[in-house]
Amino acid sequence: MREITYSEAVREAMEQEMRKNDDVFILGEDIGVYGGAFGVTRGMIEEFGPERVRNTPISESGISGAAVGSALTGMRPIVELQFSDFITIAMDQMVNQAAKMRYMYGGKATVPMVLRTPSGSGTGAAAQHSQSLEAWVAHVPGLKVVQPSTAYDAKGLLKAAMDDDNPVVFYEHKVLYKTKSDVPEDQYSIPLGEADIKREGTDVTIVATAVMVHRALEAAEELEKEGISVEVVDPRTIVPLDEETIVQSVSKTGRVVVVHEAVKRGGVGGEIASMIAESDAFDYLDAPIQRLGALPVPVPYNPDLEKASVPQVPDIVQSVKKTLNKA
Amino acid sequence: MAKEVFMPKLSSTMEVGTLLQWLKEEGDPVEIGEPLFEIMTDKINIEVESYEEGVFLKKYYQVDDEIPVNAVIGYVGEENEEVPNEPPELADEEEPSEAGESAKEDEQPAAEQPVESATDKVRATPAARRVAWENNIELSSVSGSGPKSRVHEQDVIKAIDTNRATPLAEKIAADKGVDLSQIQGSGARGKVEKADVTGYAAAQTEPREEPERVKLKGLRKAVADKMLESTQSIPHVTLTSEIDMSQVIDVRKSLLPVIEKQTGYRLSYTEIIIKATAHVLGNHPKVNASLVGDEIVMNKDVNIGLAVAVENGLIVPSVPNADKKGLAELTEASKTLGLKARDGKLSPDEMSGSTFSISNLGMYAVDGFTPIINPPETAILGVGRIVEKPVIVDGSVEVRPMMVLSLSFDHRAIDGAPAAAFLTELKDRLENPYGLLV
Repeated sequence: MREITYSEAVREAMEQEMRKNDDVFILGEDIGVYGGAFGVTRGMIEEFGPERVRNTPISESGISGAAVGSALTGMRPIVELQFSDFITIAMDQMVNQAAKMRYMYGGKATVPMVLRTPSGSGTGAAAQHSQSLEAWVAHVPGLKVVQPSTAYDAKGLLKAAMDDDNPVVFYEHKVLYKTKSDVPEDQYSIPLGEADIKREGTDVTIVATAVMVHRALEAAEELEKEGISVEVVDPRTIVPLDEETIVQSVSKTGRVVVVHEAVKRGGVGGEIASMIAESDAFDYLDAPIQRLGALPVPVPYNPDLEKASVPQVPDIVQSVKKTLNKA
Repeated sequence: MAKEVFMPKLSSTMEVGTLLQWLKEEGDPVEIGEPLFEIMTDKINIEVESYEEGVFLKKYYQVDDEIPVNAVIGYVGEENEEVPNEPPELADEEEPSEAGESAKEDEQPAAEQPVESATDKVRATPAARRVAWENNIELSSVSGSGPKSRVHEQDVIKAIDTNRATPLAEKIAADKGVDLSQIQGSGARGKVEKADVTGYAAAQTEPREEPERVKLKGLRKAVADKMLESTQSIPHVTLTSEIDMSQVIDVRKSLLPVIEKQTGYRLSYTEIIIKATAHVLGNHPKVNASLVGDEIVMNKDVNIGLAVAVENGLIVPSVPNADKKGLAELTEASKTLGLKARDGKLSPDEMSGSTFSISNLGMYAVDGFTPIINPPETAILGVGRIVEKPVIVDGSVEVRPMMVLSLSFDHRAIDGAPAAAFLTELKDRLENPYGLLV
């Protein structure tokens, strides 16, 4: 197998599907010759032409509305938003149209679209270009929410997202675009709603999403030196959520730290923590559930403050130790 | 603003406190931490200190008043501040609201609580609770290793190992090198006690054979029930008396061949004792009575029950109208009943109706014993062996065949004196058997 980057994996997933399926096309701002804000679509317009790799005006509402409309007519559009922060402008199309159509038409209409968009901080892009707003969309029934953490997961999950007849919001992480992993050349699909145990352990479970998966793995390495065995569970999709894998892991370890980059208040971590408390894992909990998320502040532009505002490896190490009364 | 002074709740069971004395008078200046008054709870006497600084404005209660906890018993505030003439009513006497509780706590900082609150719930993780529940461990007995003494699963597991034995058992186990976790405790909540450890240690060194277990059933069960009923419901008193059997032996010697010839059965001491007992019972109807419900039934017939040991139990066939039978007839009757009893051929009639019973253990090396009354009878006679003993007769020591009679009686129906009178007359009759002819 060869190693490719996360952004290459996303591109490859789209290309392979577009070669097979003429209904799939992509639309977004500057995705043509420029290759998109993060270069993900670089080279695609050369292969597929401007009909299927469509540059759009700067109007997230318009782009997503066009995607919803074309999806209703049977196309399978992929929207690229330059920054996930701008989903606020696409919100009416996504929440009131895309998420509702299939339900309101009793299944006669479907909206098989994918909205791809980079999220997260760490690039010095400041408060309007660094947020993690996945909890907003996860709250809306009718939308699926995906957060791949590796190139391998990105390719397989994007294939599943494109195959899905429901609107899928596909969060790519800016600082993960350049990370590499082994990715099969052939097409493959990772079912939405299947968590992945990124590292097995016995003492504490860390449930981490997106870039936090990598920080959790780093923390686990450090903690191993102190004899603490950490299991890292990556849900991979927030909706649907693989509750079973999380519950099993927590039942095994009895301790859990939930960590995401989004602001802790109102974040998906609260949902996961509550789900654990309501589940059979409750009786196995041997320490209060710990949640880690960003501070309730706009993401600062100053790089040091930006770092300080979201969980870092030492924070995760500290939280794990806290569950073990070793902090 | 004047601050209330409350009757504190000093223990989980405290509902009222009794005011023993006021240590401040209205108008006195008060410092924080100064004793205001002394109370008595169900457990202790204690001085209650002020949480406020100012002037003691009001006291609502007198010495010896019983005051419910959380009641306002006075005020501390600024001089001449107005306070109610009557104490404010308790918000909710039965169950103080959450808010009230926390307000109270604010008034009384935990650090100054003179008595450690026993009402605090145990702080334990769900996993610790599960393991404690599974192993019957009282969480409050487990010391927690977590923050604020929170009990974790590991603490409970540790407690299962250490807490499940008494200190003595632990010591013995350590001395004998016995693994406590292998021992099934017999104490409360499976607590391992001294005997468990020593028993276990002994069993480890000596091979132990499983005991044979026999179900309590049939005659054994009937005997068991009857004995239990008798001892549990009847206040037994047993009197003993030693009888010189010289003359009875002579009587038996002379009558044995006669009766054997007539009936084919050998006369034994039992029949002579039956004869004498039946005769004397005629003079002591209280001893020949039955206690049935709230009535003492004075029986006119004298039917003597004879305790017969059979395989797996004891049965008491009855010799009816023993007082009217001669020794030959008694010998035949008692021998026949004994045989039938051992062969299990007694009819229900033959097994009932006795008014007084005799239990003879004279064939064994038994002198006296405490026989158990056969209800509804009111007395039973226990017969011991005849053994030669030195006895003083007319000032000189002689060897005489002596026998102990043990008379148990139901003290509900008879008192000691009449029972003693009966036994005395019986002794006299056996020592002078010719009196039976009178």
